[in-house]
Amino acid sequence: MKKVLIAGVGNVLLGDDGVGPFVTRLLASRYEFESGVEIEDLGTPALDFIDNLLGLDALIVVDSVENGKPAGSVTLYRKPHLVRHAPGVRMDPHSPAMSESIMAADLIGTGPREVLLIGISGGSYEAGCDLSAPVKASVEAAIREVIRELDRLRIPHHLNENAGSPAIWWSDATPAVTTAG
Amino acid sequence: MSKRITVDPITRIEGHLRIDVEVDNGAVSDAWASCTMWRGIEKILEGRDPREAWLFTQRFCGVCTTVHAIASVRSVEDALNLEIPANAQYIRNLILINHGLHDHIVHFYHLSALDWVDVLQIPKADPAKTAALAESISPWTGNSKLQMKAAQDKVKAVAGSGQLGIFTNGYWGHPQMRLSPDVNLLAFSHYLQALEYQRKANQVVGMLGGKTPHIQNLTVGGVANAINLDSQATLGMERLESMKVLMDEVAKFVHQVYFVDACAVAAFYTDWFGIGGGVKNYLAVPDLPLDARATQFDLPGGYIANGDLSSVRTFKAAADAQFRPAVLEDVTHSYYRGDTRLHPWKGETVPEFTNWQADKKYTWVKAPRYENKPAQVGPLAQVLVGYVQGHPLTRKWTDAALQTVSAVSGKKITINDMHSTMGRHLARAIRCAMLADLGDRHWQMLVDNIAKGDVAIHNPPSFPSGEIEGVGTHEAPRGTLSHWVVVKGGTIKNYQAVVPSTWNASPRDNAGAHGPYEASLLHTPIANSEQPLEVLRTVHSFDPCMACACHTFDVEGKQIAKVKVL
Repeated sequence: MKKVLIAGVGNVLLGDDGVGPFVTRLLASRYEFESGVEIEDLGTPALDFIDNLLGLDALIVVDSVENGKPAGSVTLYRKPHLVRHAPGVRMDPHSPAMSESIMAADLIGTGPREVLLIGISGGSYEAGCDLSAPVKASVEAAIREVIRELDRLRIPHHLNENAGSPAIWWSDATPAVTTAG
Repeated sequence: MSKRITVDPITRIEGHLRIDVEVDNGAVSDAWASCTMWRGIEKILEGRDPREAWLFTQRFCGVCTTVHAIASVRSVEDALNLEIPANAQYIRNLILINHGLHDHIVHFYHLSALDWVDVLQIPKADPAKTAALAESISPWTGNSKLQMKAAQDKVKAVAGSGQLGIFTNGYWGHPQMRLSPDVNLLAFSHYLQALEYQRKANQVVGMLGGKTPHIQNLTVGGVANAINLDSQATLGMERLESMKVLMDEVAKFVHQVYFVDACAVAAFYTDWFGIGGGVKNYLAVPDLPLDARATQFDLPGGYIANGDLSSVRTFKAAADAQFRPAVLEDVTHSYYRGDTRLHPWKGETVPEFTNWQADKKYTWVKAPRYENKPAQVGPLAQVLVGYVQGHPLTRKWTDAALQTVSAVSGKKITINDMHSTMGRHLARAIRCAMLADLGDRHWQMLVDNIAKGDVAIHNPPSFPSGEIEGVGTHEAPRGTLSHWVVVKGGTIKNYQAVVPSTWNASPRDNAGAHGPYEASLLHTPIANSEQPLEVLRTVHSFDPCMACACHTFDVEGKQIAKVKVL
């Protein structure tokens, strides 16, 4: 059984930065996976991200990216691209740390061999709980990339017959959900 | 001739801490701390249901999720004057304790140790001598020659590859790096082990909170953990016992490894007890309530003015009558409109961006003031406030630390040396050792209370039609956190979070008084302007956390802080 993490990363209070959690929650409501596959909305982890990486065979991250492309563009990045720049001298030690976490997991020796970042170019990062129109329109494309990667890794998946509404509680566009329990 | 050094980490999106220092004759003559991004996230809460505010506030920051959730429910409970059941206090306390343990371990080993430990000296170490040294100072079973050798081999593999990877941008070989190769190796081997133990502490948070990083079990009025000692589906004895196993392992690591290492590093760098003091007004609120009404606490709070360790004003309540009116925020040097100091319940957040101007506005951080003075918050404030009031657990671990550092270094280090960069590191280890003791105690209190037949977890809130105000506090890993809420007719009218890093990273105020980061940097000697390691050491000793709001990943930009010398 392969261990796979599908992680949505980003701040759901800052506009398009929340697209990663948005996509993973949609995926979690639509699909069922065999054990060994986890889907997590990780929010905005710093070096804590290392904990999520240890012992994985494959990591799929969905995150907003800055790459100069128009909002809503979906771009795929593999591990060599993500670790090609060394981490910097940190003033604030909690700064975003995806590359550094992957490097640290490799140093320990049990980091994921396969890494895919599905990057969605953001448009607006103003405080607010909804995605901009072009980014929202790219959500289905991002989901297709996740499924394509699972197929490549030969990880079984199927549509959930009893799919409920996704637990995107922060969005004003979807009804509030019960959270306690 | 004076030089200006700017340490400014990159990119358009990520809000970061930027530090500017002026260096004159080899020492810092002035300093500015600024945050480069506007958050204004509190605005999102206006008009929302106060019972759901904690779900949003725990997304303020990716590292401090739990602390913002707790402060939020406490603020609404304070507004309603709503008591919560004793079980709910203990369950929340256990979450806070384990979050604190996790956070402090990560800070020491993974975020700041490499300011003091030179990784590139490690290949020269002798694993047998390192193991012997380790076994002479601690009974820890993870200090064998084989383990030291394995850690050394990891560094050799990286260093030998020609690609330093994760270690590329350290200030290796800097004249301020003074540990022997063996001590460097010892610290690095614990860096690797610490990853495992911080994870165990985080697992306990997840077992009580439902999951991490975002706990699910809070509710205004208590918690949502159904209790039945005989059931596996609820919080029962089986889950409590497995939590206890993890907590015992973490406590052992903290007492036998982290605490010992912090004392050892301090003993090798005793000159850093004379550097980095700064603002000596210390603020901490009481936490870990012991009863439903929160009248007694296991962690003491109070205020010390002007570094005078002969007296402390003790706080009796989590949001003491002294504390409530004493907090004001100044925006003279912040990118916001206004020129008066406002209380958080009346707080405004109207942006007015100018460029960075040394004598005008230069940061997105407001300047919180306690009784109109800057105040330092964090483990050093927590430890000093407890020590001066004679709090037994604080005394026990502080005295042990001071004795150990004095014995190893051969120099007399006292409580008066704690106003410093090294004092902040040592205080964090002291606080962490205390939390490890308290985890055991609060676990037992929860089990005993349930065994008496009390399974209450929640008192339902009801909201009046009029306007009410509340403040929820938490003495978080980085210091005093307070959430201030105004509720009108059952919805949120105003919400302000005054976070620990706002206290410490605050800019000057309208009286020209520096914030704690700024003041702590004054007079710091700088050996090499191109590699301002001394600046990093002091700023890191506060454990800054201000950039967690937005994580858009810059795939093209280099993740390197610019150090610019003018």
